[in-house]
Amino acid sequence: MKRTTLAAAAALTLSAALLTGCGSTKDTGAGPAAGGGGQGGKVGVGLPLLTSPFWQAYNNYVPTMAREQGVDALPTVNSNSDPTQQITDINNLLNQNVRGLVVAPLDSAAIVAGLNQAERKGVPVVAVDVAPEKGKVAMVVRANNRAYGEKACAFLGDRLKKGKVVQIQGDLASVNGRDRSQAFRDCMRSRYPDIKVLEIPAEWKAEKAASGLDSLLNANPDLKGVYMQAGGVYLAPTLQALRSKNLLFPAGDPKHIAIVSNDGIPQEFAAIRKGEIDATVSQPADAYARWGMYYIKQAMAGKTFQPGRTDHGSEIVRLPSGILEDQLPAPLVTKENVNDRSLWGNTVSR
Amino acid sequence: MTQTMATPRAAAPARLRPALGRMREFALLPALAALVVLGAVVNDSFLTERNIISILGASAALALVVLAESLILITGKIDLSLESVVGIAPGLGALLVIPAAAAGFGTGWPAWLGILAIFVVGGAIGAFNGWLSVRLRLNAFIVSLAMLIVLRGLLTGATEGKTLFDMPDAFFAIATTTFLRLPMSVWLAVVCFGVAGFTLRYHRLGRALYAIGGNPEAARAAGIRVERVTWAVYTIAGVLAAAAGLCLTGYVGAINANQGQNMIFTVMAAAVIGGISMNGGRGTMTGAVTGVLLLGVVDNLLTLAQVASFWKQAIYGAIILVALVISRVTSGQAQE
Repeated sequence: MKRTTLAAAAALTLSAALLTGCGSTKDTGAGPAAGGGGQGGKVGVGLPLLTSPFWQAYNNYVPTMAREQGVDALPTVNSNSDPTQQITDINNLLNQNVRGLVVAPLDSAAIVAGLNQAERKGVPVVAVDVAPEKGKVAMVVRANNRAYGEKACAFLGDRLKKGKVVQIQGDLASVNGRDRSQAFRDCMRSRYPDIKVLEIPAEWKAEKAASGLDSLLNANPDLKGVYMQAGGVYLAPTLQALRSKNLLFPAGDPKHIAIVSNDGIPQEFAAIRKGEIDATVSQPADAYARWGMYYIKQAMAGKTFQPGRTDHGSEIVRLPSGILEDQLPAPLVTKENVNDRSLWGNTVSR
Repeated sequence: MTQTMATPRAAAPARLRPALGRMREFALLPALAALVVLGAVVNDSFLTERNIISILGASAALALVVLAESLILITGKIDLSLESVVGIAPGLGALLVIPAAAAGFGTGWPAWLGILAIFVVGGAIGAFNGWLSVRLRLNAFIVSLAMLIVLRGLLTGATEGKTLFDMPDAFFAIATTTFLRLPMSVWLAVVCFGVAGFTLRYHRLGRALYAIGGNPEAARAAGIRVERVTWAVYTIAGVLAAAAGLCLTGYVGAINANQGQNMIFTVMAAAVIGGISMNGGRGTMTGAVTGVLLLGVVDNLLTLAQVASFWKQAIYGAIILVALVISRVTSGQAQE
């Protein structure tokens, strides 16, 4: 009898101890940022990967733009293409008591856990490049990827009117790859019905682009145009495949195959100057960094935003999920404006 | 099969065995033939000369890595890090050559020295892997997985993630120059497979690989210097993977920091459907070649047929599965 009481008491004490020691990840580790006037505080910046020229450029712009906007940004954190790592990175940053987060989600669904964690700690988040499916973000800063596909389609369509074109697609498991593919296909179907669209699902991989184009050219030697969804990866293999088939003619030559790229890296600009390719949609790395920093600063000060036109030539739209997205314009670069100093591809070294 | 063949010639089992072995080697041929017929039906340009050249050119790099992995698998080991060698060997070679303005080291080596460095780097990494596995007796699977990550990280670090574009033409020559209309990379793969196949079948050293892979203790008792041979195999595999990296560089026209990433799965698939045993001691070069060609043909066929891009992967995987089943049925041998 006595022993049972003792055991029960012990159990009770233990569970009490456990209870007090117990917590949940929902606890607010730090007080809400607004307490400190909302101005100061460090900002954590998460990168999805560093193996593309675009993200390297973004990475270089972050400290510059942070200074410009008066934001105290920590050194960037690279998740190296691993969505799980990205959640860990967000948690680590939150544990360093950052007051704001600017992340470029690798996966629109997998990022939600990280966003919830930030929300519990009262830390505002700005998402760059990819809109999360749900969760709380102050703003999504993203170029309209559907517009990329449409711009490329309009350029090729107006130039060719009829014939066969191929789009070298990105990873179809990524929202950016899907949006570009879908928009290009839809636009061709509705506006240029005489153009036949072939596809190479290359998963952002150079060797897949090379072997796909190589094979496709055997069956379709009459190919008239190419849309590369990522110049950073597909430029070299595309040119190499055309060269090996003796199909690389400079722009202006009647046998020239029209090529539109997507990214806006210096190598694409060099190829445009040489006449090897015709155009590229410049994905605005500088604007991503600038407006990412701008919105996080505003959000930390407790500001909220409304849909509508902005003062920097873009439009804030409300996505079906209720999240706001600032859709930045992406300029089409051709031979005419390739030397424009305001293009980010002209400001970075190769 | 065994029964029908054995009955009339029951007295000659010695002649029977090589015939059976030969059978297993060509187990994949029916599947390959079926695919070629299918390809010819689906698309007019499939069986054209230039398309066949395309398939071979696209498969050359894969073939060299499959050769490297097959040698290691036959010896009873495994090396996953070969896919990272495919990236880092040409990557370092290029960094030594290209100017600092194009993200290079700024050492400005001449192109031939840079290309030589590619093979030296590949061999050195192979030798190091061999040392880890043979001398330190670490588990080959885990240690090569660690090396895969280390080497990939080293390349990303050395290039700062950049894609290297500005190599001299010599770096691309292996895939862009042709002999009898075939790219040199294809000839290189053919020669390497020929030498390896001949050595494995007829030479003392080649036979030693099977002996080691089958039973290292027995091999040692038979007077084979197991450690030394295994080490040599690792080094050769490193050099072959580096050569594959150079072929891929020429084929693609640039070196991405991701070059070769996830390639090892395709390599394993090609080797295993080609009849190389994962447990060591079994498999032939002819089999490995048919494995590579099968994957090359499937990929080309799916592109030409323009199957809906969302479904391409699923169909690709399904065809590999069917090929495995066909080779299992035609050879009548259990796969390991």
